[in-house]
Amino acid sequence: MKAVLTGNQAIARGFYEAGGRIAASYPGSPTVEIMESMKEYEEVYGEFSTNEKVALEVAIGGSFYGARSMASMKHVGVNIAADPLMTFTQTYINGGFILVTGDDPGMASSQNEQDNRIFGKFANMAVLYPGNSQESKDFMKEGLNLSEKYHMPVMVDITSRVCHSRGIVELENREDKIPLGFKIDQEKYTMLPPNTFKAQYFMKERLEKLEEYAYDSPINLLEEKEGADILIVTSGLMYYNLKELNLPISIYKLGMVYPISTKKIEELSKRYKRIIVLEEMMPFIENELILKGISCEGKKYFSFTGELHIEDIEKGLINAGVIKGEPNSIEKPKIVSRPPMFCSGCPHRPVFDVLKKMKVKVVGDIGCYSMSVLPAFEASHIMISMGACVGITKGMNKAMRRNNDEDPIVAVIGDGTFFHSGMPGFANLLHQMDEDDNMTFIVLDNRTTAMTGGQHNASSGRYNEKEDMHISIKDLLNTMGIENVVEVDQFNYKKLKETIQGETKKKGISVIITTRPCALRYKIKEPYYYVDPNICIGCRSCVKTNCPPIRMKKYEQHEKLKSSIDPDSCVGCSVCSQVCPVGAIKRSE
Amino acid sequence: MKNIIVAGVGGQGLVLATKIISEAAFKEGLDVKTNDVVGLSQRGGMVWGSVRIGEKVYSPNIPLGEGDIILGMEPLEAYRWSYLMKEGAIIILNKKKVYPTPVLLEKEEYPEEEIDNLKNKFNIIEIDALEEAKTAGNIKAANTILIGVLAQHLDIKMTTWEEVLKENVPTKAVEENIKAFYMAYKH
Repeated sequence: MKAVLTGNQAIARGFYEAGGRIAASYPGSPTVEIMESMKEYEEVYGEFSTNEKVALEVAIGGSFYGARSMASMKHVGVNIAADPLMTFTQTYINGGFILVTGDDPGMASSQNEQDNRIFGKFANMAVLYPGNSQESKDFMKEGLNLSEKYHMPVMVDITSRVCHSRGIVELENREDKIPLGFKIDQEKYTMLPPNTFKAQYFMKERLEKLEEYAYDSPINLLEEKEGADILIVTSGLMYYNLKELNLPISIYKLGMVYPISTKKIEELSKRYKRIIVLEEMMPFIENELILKGISCEGKKYFSFTGELHIEDIEKGLINAGVIKGEPNSIEKPKIVSRPPMFCSGCPHRPVFDVLKKMKVKVVGDIGCYSMSVLPAFEASHIMISMGACVGITKGMNKAMRRNNDEDPIVAVIGDGTFFHSGMPGFANLLHQMDEDDNMTFIVLDNRTTAMTGGQHNASSGRYNEKEDMHISIKDLLNTMGIENVVEVDQFNYKKLKETIQGETKKKGISVIITTRPCALRYKIKEPYYYVDPNICIGCRSCVKTNCPPIRMKKYEQHEKLKSSIDPDSCVGCSVCSQVCPVGAIKRSE
Repeated sequence: MKNIIVAGVGGQGLVLATKIISEAAFKEGLDVKTNDVVGLSQRGGMVWGSVRIGEKVYSPNIPLGEGDIILGMEPLEAYRWSYLMKEGAIIILNKKKVYPTPVLLEKEEYPEEEIDNLKNKFNIIEIDALEEAKTAGNIKAANTILIGVLAQHLDIKMTTWEEVLKENVPTKAVEENIKAFYMAYKH
């Protein structure tokens, strides 16, 4: 039987068919849908964990017991999970273990473009690199077999395009894999010296054996064209993009990009005049070949950043002299951009409107509220990584106060990010407090991990009874010893403004928890609002809240532009009517 | 080979539309690959997808200048991808405009004239999908209207489309969606 699946769905399907039992993840584009589609398979225990480190640890536990296990996360998630990963990889893997990581060439939805193939090598893992949905499924199954055969964790590194691309996949039945159980063996599973001394040799030998497998495994595809004197070494989607050009060259497609068989590539290099490496992002394969003493070219023809489309490959190969002719000259026209924005009724809107007007310095964090960086708000001024705002605010506050700088400093953090990695930052706040410290934290508790599509988190149950975690952020902060924690309904704009202004003036630590839930997950169903053009003075206070239905419009009888609200997309949150200085915006019923 | 671009605004249901088109092609026995650019896109950003249908499809990416049809859920977004198209390509254009932030903030103009000029180079099929969907009895069937128009230009049987629609829309909305599909198909 066949079906049309995305790469993400195919990853989940492959794990299921291979008899997988324990799967954990933290939501992050491009790999969110892996765990979402795992729900289909009752035989698999799946969870979105608190963060990627916890997800990896849950999967490690499954594998130690002998159950086939996996963890999936976006590329930067592996940074969070790196601590257990780098030591777990030294152990003797029992139940097949796969770490699926979603790289994002071109950064469609990420804060950096790190190439996790390097992480795979760093962690002494095999790295498999699928290029379409069928391979995504096949590589999961082969990866679990390799993991058990060579007792190593395997990385399946999938790029965002492959995650979201659909293709036809052959479905097979589930293989029943009974876990062998956990047998106490301290040498294998307690990573302390001297056990770790041996582990270094164990990892080295594992990779050497795997290189033998790489020599003639069908996972690496060799397509030789008669008479060709150029060999292109490539992997993943780049192979399929290259195939579109239908060239008279030979191709060595690596399904496993690490380790690469030295013996194989040496043999090939003797048969070809030139070897060109085609890969997105960093020159990973190219560097591997150079380390093996193979003369090759690559990045000098192809960009080190962004995606490589068919025309980019064509252009690179023209420059390399492989193809004759002129590059495709069609240029992308310059057209007004469409950046993402807060939804109609988004509870973040009034918070950033207030912060913008206060002209206060704001340390942002990762979530939908990251969009506060963009116009019309430009109201977050620092943004690094999940949960980082808390520590950064403390450090900046210390630097400011010791420099007699009394400006307030505000940090914003969502509930998902709070639980993910914000909590250690909060636990650290009370340590070595000074009298003139002044930090204000706004916890945007919208009861969901919104940016990735509305997954649950540890406080979701306080709004949605069907969910099983009910942690109160306020109680938790109080327990940590942070006493000044106030809650505010941010759809009461005046109250919100007074609260933020008041708290930023106070010395010490202030935490403001905003209480409105995500408007996408918990729809607001209020009557729409409309503008009375006879009252509107055209000041644009409402337009500057950047709500999808609000824009300036020409009315008959009025020479000046006046504001307007598209009733089809207004959900009735009322924020615009509250920022209007003249009461021109009214509720329809 | 048919190369289709689906273009719209985050939240318009683009991912489901590409899913429906690809499953219809698959059930018709054709090879198919798609792309959806999602992520930040759910929050009113630009979204686009591609569907490539043929005997054998390698890449989900449409080569520059090889596009046959744009399914435009929003005029500006359809215009954005028109440079990828063959001359004389079909552009199905949903009339309902969604203004992007730079236009809302009066920093840039909505490109009315450029969109109007598309007709000089391409075969434009304008449609008010929202209004048509209301006529069919369900405002949420707007994309089904667009898919119905698209179906006129693809070699896929009506029974196949019906089957795929039934599998992909909520049970209680099946009847209205099938009605919307046929309304648009006969348009």
